[in-house]
Amino acid sequence: MLNKFVYGLILVAGALALPALAQKPQKPKTAAAEPASGTIALRGGKLLTISHGVIENGVLVMQNGKITAIGGASTAIPHDAKVIDVTGMTVYPGLIDSETHLGLTEISAEQSTNDMLEASDEIMPHMHVYDAFHAETALIPVARINGITNAIVAPAIGDTLPGQDSFIQLAGRSSEEMLLVRDIAMPLNFTGRQRRNETFQTSKYPSTRMGMATQLRQAFLDAQDYDQKMAAYEKKKASGDEKDKAAPPPKRDLKLEALLPYLHGQKPVILAAEEANDLLTALSLANEFHLKVVLNHLAHSGSLLDKIAATGLPVIVGPIYEQPKESERYDAVFKLPAELARRGVKIAFASYDAHQVRNLPYAAGYATAFGLPHDEALKALTLNPAEIWGVSDKLGSLDTGKQANVVVANGDPLDVRTDVKHVFIGGEEIPLVNKQTQLRDQYWQ
Amino acid sequence: MARRSTLFRVMPLVLLLGLLAISAQMGAQATASGKPAELFVPNEIHNDVVIRGGTLLTVTHGRIENGSIYIHNGKIAAIGKTVQAPANATVIDATGRWVMPGIIDSHSHIALDNDVNEATSPITPHMMMRDAFDYNDKGIYRALAGGVTTSLLLHGSANMIGGQAIVIKHKHGLRKDDLLFPGAPQSIKFASGENPKRVYGGRNQLPATRMGNFEIMRQSFTEAREYMRDWDDYNAKVAKGDKDPKVPKKDLKLEALADILRGKLLVQIHCYRADEFLTEMALAKEFGYKIRAFHHAVEAYKVADKIAANGIAVATWPDWWGFKQEAWDGIPWNAAISLRKGVRVAIKSDSEDVTRRLNTEAGKVMHYGNVSEDDALKMITLNAAWIIGVEDRVGSLDVGKDADIGIWNNYPLGSNALADQVLIDGEVFFDRTRPGLGLTHYKEGQ
Repeated sequence: MLNKFVYGLILVAGALALPALAQKPQKPKTAAAEPASGTIALRGGKLLTISHGVIENGVLVMQNGKITAIGGASTAIPHDAKVIDVTGMTVYPGLIDSETHLGLTEISAEQSTNDMLEASDEIMPHMHVYDAFHAETALIPVARINGITNAIVAPAIGDTLPGQDSFIQLAGRSSEEMLLVRDIAMPLNFTGRQRRNETFQTSKYPSTRMGMATQLRQAFLDAQDYDQKMAAYEKKKASGDEKDKAAPPPKRDLKLEALLPYLHGQKPVILAAEEANDLLTALSLANEFHLKVVLNHLAHSGSLLDKIAATGLPVIVGPIYEQPKESERYDAVFKLPAELARRGVKIAFASYDAHQVRNLPYAAGYATAFGLPHDEALKALTLNPAEIWGVSDKLGSLDTGKQANVVVANGDPLDVRTDVKHVFIGGEEIPLVNKQTQLRDQYWQ
Repeated sequence: MARRSTLFRVMPLVLLLGLLAISAQMGAQATASGKPAELFVPNEIHNDVVIRGGTLLTVTHGRIENGSIYIHNGKIAAIGKTVQAPANATVIDATGRWVMPGIIDSHSHIALDNDVNEATSPITPHMMMRDAFDYNDKGIYRALAGGVTTSLLLHGSANMIGGQAIVIKHKHGLRKDDLLFPGAPQSIKFASGENPKRVYGGRNQLPATRMGNFEIMRQSFTEAREYMRDWDDYNAKVAKGDKDPKVPKKDLKLEALADILRGKLLVQIHCYRADEFLTEMALAKEFGYKIRAFHHAVEAYKVADKIAANGIAVATWPDWWGFKQEAWDGIPWNAAISLRKGVRVAIKSDSEDVTRRLNTEAGKVMHYGNVSEDDALKMITLNAAWIIGVEDRVGSLDVGKDADIGIWNNYPLGSNALADQVLIDGEVFFDRTRPGLGLTHYKEGQ
């Protein structure tokens, strides 16, 4: 815990550093995509490996950006390693937020700072969040000092097909280093909020769920048609017939082209529904086109828990703070993660936010109050999302060979009282400073 | 929300909540309560109740391990390691559990069916929250299940002066009058900054700026002074024996403004920026009224010494920031810095969601700035009670106070605690082990 004394030191150190800073701009210290050179060993901590239990009084070695050794107290530490004593601390993999708007907004109410949604049309699969992703946003350093190291960046939920998500790491010298996987998945939103039905005077198609479903179906049919046309053209081009070879190519359509990897089942569609009836409609639509699905939201689908489990699909949870319906018990939404996990569903938490991404672990902690086992809650912030997003070979657990995204805290990662002490991304220590700590240090005395 | 503008679709929840308070006409927040609740008297009502065996978080005098509380006629009659109680008292066994005062939310907008802004004029001090209060709203129940026993229901922030608030106890299932906190002082809601600017500026009306914000206030209080002078003159004439003095017109709006100047109302001000706190304090000095608390106050840490010197409290969130320009410098150490500079700080919800888990919000303050357990607890109990003006009645486990008590299954300032039972005035109003909603005084309308 930071106490007055430590704050005093920070302030004094800050005051001393200030003139130096003024003369020489500090080289930004951030994680790099290329391997870090320094070797770091964490010694004495309680290691929550996620994949193979808890190691008390353990050792974790990071080298060249990766975890190179993990084990008990006798684990060998390279002689040139910088050893950090983390006795009494908890060590765990960097947390993964499975839906955020990081880099797409700065001040929510100031439209000029928002790049979250193309609201002019509902079918916008050719919008790529990486084109808008603002690597230098003040929000990422705020999120990462609480141990969130990776996230999905998604457009806002206002369109049925608002664009494609990217998977990021919350450190890097540029957007290119931070955008780990571009177009990793495509949200398909069917919550009713995508209707254009503000008023009778201004409503336009699709103003109902019928319109939403029909418009989506037409879009996927158009894409299939486009796919066939393109395939036919490729076939002709490859054929021996001179006349066929000379045939003009069909006009390219970026919107329909964007749908093809999803129609081919190469990438997942992130299907958001809240009410049970919406979930059924959206699922049948997804099945009709053989889409690979990850379920999302589901705040009011409590009546379908067994059916959801039977699909075998993973579920992104997290809107557990949504209000229950009038007739529901106060905990109807709070306990959804527990009810899903109990049925064997693979769950992953999301903040669905930008400014409060740092609070991601607390949602998982709150879900444990309502019956989610603690280890399942931790998995839903680490290994589960790594598996869902296809990066479990690199992220999600403390295992040799994985990227060294490692967090050290003074207690339970899920508890609101816990203070994060070290964050490593790609084996490099992230300074625990941001816009807010600067203001804190400026005004603490 | 059934209907949303395109604007709303692109905003995160946090902003929606912020805007909720200024969007009465955009409406359609579904809090209609359906059929009225039926009053029934549960068997377990007794004059005498003993809570035994828990860890008591008293707020004012630390922890009592394995302590007991004796409740008589709805008040805490004794508290300690052991207490004397009649043999026939109802016993609640809290062994292995945590007992703390009922949580107090000093800034809430629940149970109002979104009737929080009479946004047709920037000065509406005569809008009485009591007239809009929907005592059957399930939001009262959901907060109760999160350990909340008292809330200050405030107007929104569309207007410079929104109206007069009410203080409720979360006795869900009883009649409207039973929910009103008896004898609680009358609070009035002020607001300045972006919200009034947006609402009236958006219509090309005054106030579109902070200049307009405060000049409107000066005009209003100047009129109120003239109104008070007219009545003072009249009363003086009557006192002198004048049989036929001209009776001034009774004006509800000016009467309410006069009540502010007479010091009859607790002034609760929504504002965010450091310069606004200073302007508000200068205005209060100019017209001779007192400010009870700054609400939201995300920049309180920048001028905390000045706020403290004026005896003004701060009701804030632990960590909200960035949802609008005036919240850009919000930091999670705001509460801790304000506290150490002598400000009385409360953590409040301003949200039908967050009000259900204010315990974890107070826990965050222990993380950000190493605030002690007692100080963190005070932020959701005694300090909130002070803001509302009921600190002598509720907010701590002390003899003579109302027996508003939460019994929790785990440490209540951590992430994984649930309120098992919540008592108000010594009666159990929520018990999560009960079937259905877990309520004792509410039956679904029949």
